[in-house]
Amino acid sequence: MRIESRLDVHSEEFRANFAHNKALAAEFHARQQKARFERPARDIERLKRQNKLFVRDRLDLLLDPGTPFLELSTLAANQSYDGEVPGAGNVTGIGIVAGREVMIHADDGSVKGGAWYPLTIKKMVRALDIAIENRLPVVHLCDSAGGFLPAQADLFADKYYAGRLFRNQAILSKRGIPQVAIVLGHCTAGGAYIPALSEYNVIVRKTGAIFLGGPPLVKAATGEEVTVEELGGADVHTRISGTADYPADTEQQAIAIARDIVAQFPKPQKLKLERIAPEPPYYDPSELYGIIPRDIKVQFDMREVIARVVDGSRFHEYQPAYGTTLVCGFAHIWGYHVGILANNGVLFNDSSLKAAHFMQLCNQHGVPMIFLQNITGYMVGREYEHRGITKDGAKMIMAVAGSEVPKITVMVNGSFGAGNYGMSGRAFDSRFLFTWPQHQISVMGAEQAANVLAEIKVRQLERHGQTLTPEEIAAIREPILEEYRRQSSAYYSTSEIWDDGILDPVDTRNALGMAICASLNTPIDRPHYGVFRM
Amino acid sequence: MRHLFKLDNQEHAVWLTWRDGRYFLLIGDSEQPVALEGAGGRDRLTVGNVTVPVLAAVDGDDIHIHVDGITRTLRYLDPIRHYAAHSGASVDDVILAPMPGTVVQAIVSPGQAVARGDTLVVIESMKLETAIKSPRDGVVETVHVSTGMTFDRSAPLVTLAPATGA
Repeated sequence: MRIESRLDVHSEEFRANFAHNKALAAEFHARQQKARFERPARDIERLKRQNKLFVRDRLDLLLDPGTPFLELSTLAANQSYDGEVPGAGNVTGIGIVAGREVMIHADDGSVKGGAWYPLTIKKMVRALDIAIENRLPVVHLCDSAGGFLPAQADLFADKYYAGRLFRNQAILSKRGIPQVAIVLGHCTAGGAYIPALSEYNVIVRKTGAIFLGGPPLVKAATGEEVTVEELGGADVHTRISGTADYPADTEQQAIAIARDIVAQFPKPQKLKLERIAPEPPYYDPSELYGIIPRDIKVQFDMREVIARVVDGSRFHEYQPAYGTTLVCGFAHIWGYHVGILANNGVLFNDSSLKAAHFMQLCNQHGVPMIFLQNITGYMVGREYEHRGITKDGAKMIMAVAGSEVPKITVMVNGSFGAGNYGMSGRAFDSRFLFTWPQHQISVMGAEQAANVLAEIKVRQLERHGQTLTPEEIAAIREPILEEYRRQSSAYYSTSEIWDDGILDPVDTRNALGMAICASLNTPIDRPHYGVFRM
Repeated sequence: MRHLFKLDNQEHAVWLTWRDGRYFLLIGDSEQPVALEGAGGRDRLTVGNVTVPVLAAVDGDDIHIHVDGITRTLRYLDPIRHYAAHSGASVDDVILAPMPGTVVQAIVSPGQAVARGDTLVVIESMKLETAIKSPRDGVVETVHVSTGMTFDRSAPLVTLAPATGA
């Protein structure tokens, strides 16, 4: 049934929201543009001097022209390293190469010589996790100076640090998901294993090299003097050592060879999910800007969002009269059948039970689930505790964690407290998680948290006999609030890679379409769960 | 990466993309809807709003197209070969012996221009004669061996003058 929109597009409220959110989207696009293309002149000149292409030009050559590229975490590290490592120093995303869906990981040699910062590695590990979960072949464009040594304690030893890259590569290989690496710069030390662990690799003469220790390190260690080409150049590895497979004269030729390699990969058998002819939403997606209120505390009807994302704005709502603070139902996105769970207020006992029930339905039918988050948490208070709100929330978490069907989460607006978990937050293995620019995320709301923290400070001082004027209390509270706001923003979230990237709301439908399509490479198991506390 | 074709000595980078149930030709910054109807004999080619009868014959990498009483020949440029040829980078300047053996005949001499695939030296090893061929177009700088000489594996046989940039 088509959703009947109740939105008044001529209202003052709509216009004010529209202007506000449109401006946020414009700011987002400006930041994205900057992270993608703006580099200090000296770095661009260095690339030219080294006879190397800029990473975005490499991607243009690699991808099939006119096909979409779902770039992930474009604004990773935007709040770290003084903002000097745009995109965390690499590019990841799902694109089409020789007619095949692949995950692409490309080092960005124009950012600190492609050095791996802790967030660079986090972004690569995440890209490879996505490749494993969705059975996507990987194309690596290698051009990295190696780990950023001053930060080695934050990137080397732990479970999800650099070692995880190579572990993930080995797991991909073990599961029969092929990888091709193109060596476009020096792959030194750990970086040397990326091409070595790929089933196929191509290396460019003169600029490409693979070695565990570069010439200066070799000289220091053994006194042996050796050139880059003699130590680990294209001819050494393709003729003598067998570490690399295909020599190439130029980057262009290397990319052409890699495209031809990908063309040999078998096309995957996609999961059979009911699919109908795609149809655009009946309501204009640009009206999404007018729906999201300027103030995060103001409630809005998530059906209005659904109506501007799904095919024909058609939505089969499940239990429309029960647990109404959670909207559940079936729809199609780019023709793919999906189940949608969307917050329309705080989670009560009934809405939590409805969620757990609906998730079981989706698993029973083998239908991917889309979570649209705008959640302040589970209801608190004596009445709700007596009715077992924690127990019912636990059921929801049990269902979401135990789900076998692909889950995709969109952080539409707020994401606070345990509601984040029940609605498939980052920890719950959503295949993809995207955020909108005005999204806020934290264990509790910024103002509540600032009040609690300020209160503790005031009491401490009172114990030492000090009383504070309202101005002094405000002086304590304001910086806490400011820092809390910064850390709850979508930009901080995406900087830390708590998501797979920010979306302009109007692009949500396309991103979901690509994400669902990618998720269908992996078979879905029969539903089975842990113990639901009844 | 777009497909490359050569027409009248000029290269064109084009791509065919499928969208909304039809094909579009990407060329330069423009995009034209295209269609080819009919099978064998006379086909009808549509580009933008114009539909014309067309005859096409494919001969290896050459495509002969007859439109409006004129026959033109397009050549498909294989990207792997194309981008290597443009590089100017050398495959390797020094041609090494693949195995130990004896020189049957040194065919080229210093200063001589050679094309890719030309025989430089003929060697004999393990009762087999092997022709050592030039890996690229170039000019012979040095011939390290003479007829009857024996050599070890990886001994230099011929050095080509370094390739100049494209």
